[in-house]
Amino acid sequence: MSIFENIKMALSSIFTHKLRSSLTIIGIIIGVGSVIAVVAVGKSGEAMLKSQFVGEKNTIELYYNPSEEELQANPNSLLEASFTFQDIRTIENISEVQRIVASSSERTKVSYKGKSTNGLITGVSDIYMEVNQLKVSSGRMLLSRDFFAGNRTAVVSESFRDELFDNDEMMGKIIYIESQPVEIVGVLKEEKNIFAFDSNAIYLPLKTWQSIFSSTAISEISIQAETPENLRLAGEKATNILNRIHNKEDAYQVMNMEEIADGVAKVTNIMTIIIGSIAGISLFVGGIGVMNIMLVSVTERTREIGIRMSLGATREQILTQFLIESIVLTLFGGLIGILFGTGGAMIFSYVAGWPSLISLPVIIGGILFSMLIGTIFGIMPARKAARMDPIQALGYG
Amino acid sequence: MIYLDSISKNYNLGGKQMKVLNSVHLQIKQGEFAVIMGPSGSGKSTLMNILGCLDRPTSGDYWLNNKVVSSYEEKELANVRNRSFGFVFQQFHLLPRLTAFQNVALPMIYAGLPKDERSKRAIAALKKVGLADHINYFPNELSGGQKQRVAIARSIVNQPQIILADEPTGSLDTTTSRQIMDLFSMLHGEGTTIILVTHEMWISKYADKKIFVRDGIVTGSEYKGEIST
Repeated sequence: MSIFENIKMALSSIFTHKLRSSLTIIGIIIGVGSVIAVVAVGKSGEAMLKSQFVGEKNTIELYYNPSEEELQANPNSLLEASFTFQDIRTIENISEVQRIVASSSERTKVSYKGKSTNGLITGVSDIYMEVNQLKVSSGRMLLSRDFFAGNRTAVVSESFRDELFDNDEMMGKIIYIESQPVEIVGVLKEEKNIFAFDSNAIYLPLKTWQSIFSSTAISEISIQAETPENLRLAGEKATNILNRIHNKEDAYQVMNMEEIADGVAKVTNIMTIIIGSIAGISLFVGGIGVMNIMLVSVTERTREIGIRMSLGATREQILTQFLIESIVLTLFGGLIGILFGTGGAMIFSYVAGWPSLISLPVIIGGILFSMLIGTIFGIMPARKAARMDPIQALGYG
Repeated sequence: MIYLDSISKNYNLGGKQMKVLNSVHLQIKQGEFAVIMGPSGSGKSTLMNILGCLDRPTSGDYWLNNKVVSSYEEKELANVRNRSFGFVFQQFHLLPRLTAFQNVALPMIYAGLPKDERSKRAIAALKKVGLADHINYFPNELSGGQKQRVAIARSIVNQPQIILADEPTGSLDTTTSRQIMDLFSMLHGEGTTIILVTHEMWISKYADKKIFVRDGIVTGSEYKGEIST
């Protein structure tokens, strides 16, 4: 008797008792559903963090972290310029490096027609806005001619409208930074990002920034690579070169992704353990429920078993029939659980603004696992059916 | 073809051994129509179950086609039931969730026949018992006589040597019973061996051979007309 025949038979018997079958698989649905949801949410959380730190564009930040001795010798070394244009040119020559994003920031007073407020003034290189996914809601972005010529043009955050312009139009207006005029050419779109800070931000070309603050300093460098693996290599090479050029020991570093990831993983792991044990318990209880119903079903169908035996069914065939029935039953639970689990995870990541990640291995795992539950808890009832005496099963004796 | 050599069957009832069959000798030849007769509790059903390989004797040898099937393993017995015998029961024993067609096809599934062959044979068998237009009916949509016809179709579908029928007319009215018996007669006419358990005298007139069972012993057998003990 083929598997196909068995499955057809199992389906017919499951659909005969629709209510009973659906009540039976609730435990399996909850169990598999929560496993799928937990894994998917965990994965998308991980992806979200990764996209925050590495970015979707595969960038990583280089930073200057002076040693204890250096800090003692020169307490200002942390605040001093860390990178030079020469450094950028050197790093650009590393084969794994695709592009470099450089920036310098300074917090200072910004004024317009007698009003003033504080703002974070960031001088940026040409691809900074693109890599950091900054967009304008009105006006224009900084253009290559701005970067090339060091034009006194700026893109500012929406918050200035209220603080300096009495909610009036600010496009084309001239504001003063460090008493130097800068024209507003664009207004930034509000960011929906967990790291978005609601501060007054002004972006202008790095050259302009250096001229305003009379400094050649570049305080931050990010490098971009084709792949995460290349990014890691590029980061290693860049820090090695920088430490050598500046004659430092490990002062230039890359943001250590692994440490951050570990911290996140700890939180995620605790969550996984909690929800995992809920899932485990509900799968176990669900399995017991399946076993119970299969035992009832075997008892109810004693005569059917006798008839099948009289028609020539072997004990193995009876065992297979009932085992497949319980596997199909739990498989249904698993499939519905997967539906609920992925649905829940998708809703969650939509609400949280995380990337939604439904992984195929997890779904296949869920399917196989629910079938395993069916096998484990179905074997006892199936054996009970297979061991029946045909005479007694038929109702004689 | 069938030879029972001093078959006994004991049941263990609360520590007490109960002899249901006591050293039964019996021979049934190929193509015979045999009825086993006896009052209830005589052991005729047990005899039937042993003949159908549904039950094993406590002692004695059961020869079927020159082989001692009483020593067969479970799996071989299932195979013998599937291929050598067709069963017809008093309570019809159709599977209620399957249609007439599916019920008839069931033994062929266990025999491992391909789907086309199953379908061809099942339809042919249902035609033979006069139910060509009830192929897709469920058992609860059929009358008692029709149910028994489906059961007979199911019993012949694997082309067995022997049909074993246990009180096949016990749940039917007289007219229907006669039609069912005519069907057995027809199958017998085609060469199938038929062994039928009954306690109704009128049925014995269809038989070549009558076997009388009482208190676990074959008390006599009778070929058409002549009596031997």
